[in-house]
Amino acid sequence: MSSTEFLLEVRGLVKHFPLAKRGFFGVAEKVHAVNGIDLTIRKGEVLAMVGESGCGKSTAARAIANLYRPDFGTVHFRGADLAALSGRALKSARRAMQMVFQDPFGSLNPRLHVGTIIKEPLVIHGIGTSETRQAKVEEVMARVGLRASDATRYPHEFSGGQRQRIAIARALAIDPELIIADEPLSALDVSIQSQILNLLKDLKDEAGLAFLFISHDLGVVNHFADHIVVMYLGHVVESAPREMLFTHPHHPYTQTLIDAVPVPGNGKRSGSSPQGDVPSPIDPPSGCPFHPRCPRATETCKITMPLLEATERNADHKAACHNPIPGPGGSQ
Amino acid sequence: MIRYIAGRLVESVFVLIIMSFVIYALIGLMPGDPIDLMIKSDPRLTPADAARLRAVYGLDQPLLERYYNWAMKALGGDFGNSRLHIRPVLDVMGPFMTNTINLMGLSFIASVAIAIPAGAYAAIHQNSRADHIINLLCFAGISVPVFWLALMLIIVFAVLIPILPASGVSAINGGGFIDTARHLVLPVITLTVFSIGSYTRFMRASMIEVMRQDYIRTAFAKGATRGQVVRRHAFRNALIPVTTVIALSFGTLFSGALITETMFAYPGMGKLIFDSIMGNDYNMALVTLLLATLVTLLANLGADITYAWLDPRISLGGGKSAKTKGGS
Amino acid sequence: MSMPVPLTNTTDTTDTAATGLSTWQIFISRFATHKMALISAFVLVLMSLFVFGASIMETLFGLDPTQVDLDHRLTTASFTHPLGTDELGRDLLARLLRGGQVSLIVGLSAAVISAVIGTIVGLIAGYYGGRMDGLLMRLTDGVIALPLLPLLIVLAAVDLNKLGLSESLAQNPDIDLYRIIFIIALVGWTTVARLVRGASLSVRELDFVSAATASGASDLRIMAIHILPNVVTPIIVATTLTVGNVILLESVLSFLGLGIHPPVASWGNMLTGAQELVWTAPMQVVYPGLAIFITVIAFNFIGDGLQDALDPKATRTSD
Repeated sequence: MSSTEFLLEVRGLVKHFPLAKRGFFGVAEKVHAVNGIDLTIRKGEVLAMVGESGCGKSTAARAIANLYRPDFGTVHFRGADLAALSGRALKSARRAMQMVFQDPFGSLNPRLHVGTIIKEPLVIHGIGTSETRQAKVEEVMARVGLRASDATRYPHEFSGGQRQRIAIARALAIDPELIIADEPLSALDVSIQSQILNLLKDLKDEAGLAFLFISHDLGVVNHFADHIVVMYLGHVVESAPREMLFTHPHHPYTQTLIDAVPVPGNGKRSGSSPQGDVPSPIDPPSGCPFHPRCPRATETCKITMPLLEATERNADHKAACHNPIPGPGGSQ
Repeated sequence: MIRYIAGRLVESVFVLIIMSFVIYALIGLMPGDPIDLMIKSDPRLTPADAARLRAVYGLDQPLLERYYNWAMKALGGDFGNSRLHIRPVLDVMGPFMTNTINLMGLSFIASVAIAIPAGAYAAIHQNSRADHIINLLCFAGISVPVFWLALMLIIVFAVLIPILPASGVSAINGGGFIDTARHLVLPVITLTVFSIGSYTRFMRASMIEVMRQDYIRTAFAKGATRGQVVRRHAFRNALIPVTTVIALSFGTLFSGALITETMFAYPGMGKLIFDSIMGNDYNMALVTLLLATLVTLLANLGADITYAWLDPRISLGGGKSAKTKGGS
Repeated sequence: MSMPVPLTNTTDTTDTAATGLSTWQIFISRFATHKMALISAFVLVLMSLFVFGASIMETLFGLDPTQVDLDHRLTTASFTHPLGTDELGRDLLARLLRGGQVSLIVGLSAAVISAVIGTIVGLIAGYYGGRMDGLLMRLTDGVIALPLLPLLIVLAAVDLNKLGLSESLAQNPDIDLYRIIFIIALVGWTTVARLVRGASLSVRELDFVSAATASGASDLRIMAIHILPNVVTPIIVATTLTVGNVILLESVLSFLGLGIHPPVASWGNMLTGAQELVWTAPMQVVYPGLAIFITVIAFNFIGDGLQDALDPKATRTSD
């Protein structure tokens, strides 16, 4: 069953990485990076995936983009299950999905002209002729705020922010419908972050582009996302439209993330970070993965894994918690 | 561990079989065949005779059949006769092998005894004058053509200052231990120069790499003297990759021995291989080449096993070892 | 809660472009600190000028490498023959220069072909990783460990007619050259393969490779356009280091009479049968071998210098 109302529909995505076997007779240990997540994105919608480092959001993004083959689960993009395709079918099914990476210095081939880099998706998919490709490259470069003359220069001649623009231009070249952005702002200076973020917002508004936006920074996400998914140790712990998440977070982990966002003017130099360390994804805790750090943990939490369920207020707002934070009215 | 060794042994046997076929085929491609040589030495043989003889010896059969026949006989211990020595191949090889073992053994001991300390010294005193000189000498050692080195040594020590013999393994009418030793000096030097150059560089590099590690700095911070640190930690750990290199260089050592023995007319396996190839002694060439390959394969296997045994970070057997740092 | 208000324009105002020396300049300055490499480079350039300008030298000094003069065999240095003559009375200096041409050309060609083979092996091993990598590296280690010389001798002794080559092709005087270049390249690719494989493994992890994969690029495209141009430096280093070994192999084979055959001169075959000459004309034995020695050590120094210049953190671990 593939619904066509969603541009991207991910169900039960699982990705584990085996570690090198310890000995010939030993059992292979695994990194449980992504443990069965569901998410949906509609056309023109921005879904943000947030969580601390190591929570599996990057892995999930790459598994969705088919850089990693998912171990289980389906990834329906425009109706076709990417996880079940390969070869040429996969290639054409993925055309409308492009990716932007975190590191502006690693995501561009230092040996190629910027113009060649941007043009590459067109070449790979055999779109257009030499002239039309050139025109498209110029169009897309103008769109992201680069000069046409920049096309013959090399990536190292540009600053971090400009390089992200180049990466975005590359993603735009074949008119995608979905852009998966893996922490695109994290490596940039704060002042530049806002410029790039505004660029992304413009693209969403003008071109109706959908985004899967990975970030660890709730502050950034608050300006851009329509819907937010909170991840912890490979599980989705809360999923809600933006407003609702901030006004009434259900999951204790979400609350700690919100608390961690630095608020200018109240004297704190940085927000309080969640207590304790993230446990190892090789050997996750039993029951709810957050229970060792959770201020609201109960006995049930240690034993049983909570399922992601809709909350009473709103079907769009889901949380996986045995003991969610009570609403402002005192009830859930 | 046992499983690993068994697996590698099976692999080695497999490679040996393939190599035996390859070598057999290559030898068959050499100019002439035994019948041609018989014709050359006996002009009365008619082409009809030749054809008949070929059929008798099975030389007109396709390659795979000939190989199979040879292999079957070989497995039974029959490697045929040497054409040049008019005796069974295995009988001939004995004394040659002894000579080569002497030569390579001495060379190996000498090169390891010199290279390991020299490399360690150079690493400890990095960028000192001594280090630079050692480095230069190493480069020289690995760059000099072995056959030319032999010639130069002969010129200096046998021609200009005639103190050492230029060839042979012993004086014509026997001779004692000293005599044999004198005959070994130049060949051993020739063979050892390359190895010393190569091993020293590896030891130096490995030692430098090890000394840069954090645990070495920790040892110093805890107050250990340089000598203690070197002896207890650095040296031992630096040796690990070097032993692999040394074991893997066996093949190169063999090649060097071939040249050295030929230059000094030293009757060893290397010279035997060379003479039998050039002299169209097919049976001998085949067996000696196979032997060389076999010994090299064993050296490789030895290298892998030694490395796995020495390096505690690699556990090749046993159950789950203790979980180390968790988290990716 | 209040959030920082984003700027409304999207043009760069505070980003500054990367400045500093270009990679080329950094490379040159690092290379220059390696004294021996610098000297070697100089020596090699000088030698190449002499060797490849052999015809000019011959006209200048009136030398002829092929002119046999049985009345003046094995003479020492004189005015007409700056380095003396060989056992057939031919001028030694001229033969040395001509031989140098052959040795250097064979060495460089074999090294380049080895580099091509090694690059392909290294790219495939490094990009695909896993079992393919394991398999290819085992193969590489296997070739490195083989007793090369005995096998090369057998290869060199192969009768081309039996291989099915036509008679005319087998008699072609250039066949010597092709044959020896071929068999050396067959075993000379391992250094390049190792270095390229290591570099490919790390380049493969970079995001621009993931970007190309995510865009749907084929494996071949990624290897050729994204990985290969970024592993050029290890290729150059490895090839330089290979040249030395290759020259040594050629000289040994020619010396044994299996490589380049006279009357074409190569440094190796100028020493064939020199075991007798040591007693009668030792100086003659010195020159060709010295030439080989200087060339090989020069390439090794340059390779070492390149390695240091391109990756200063690496210790000298070349094999």
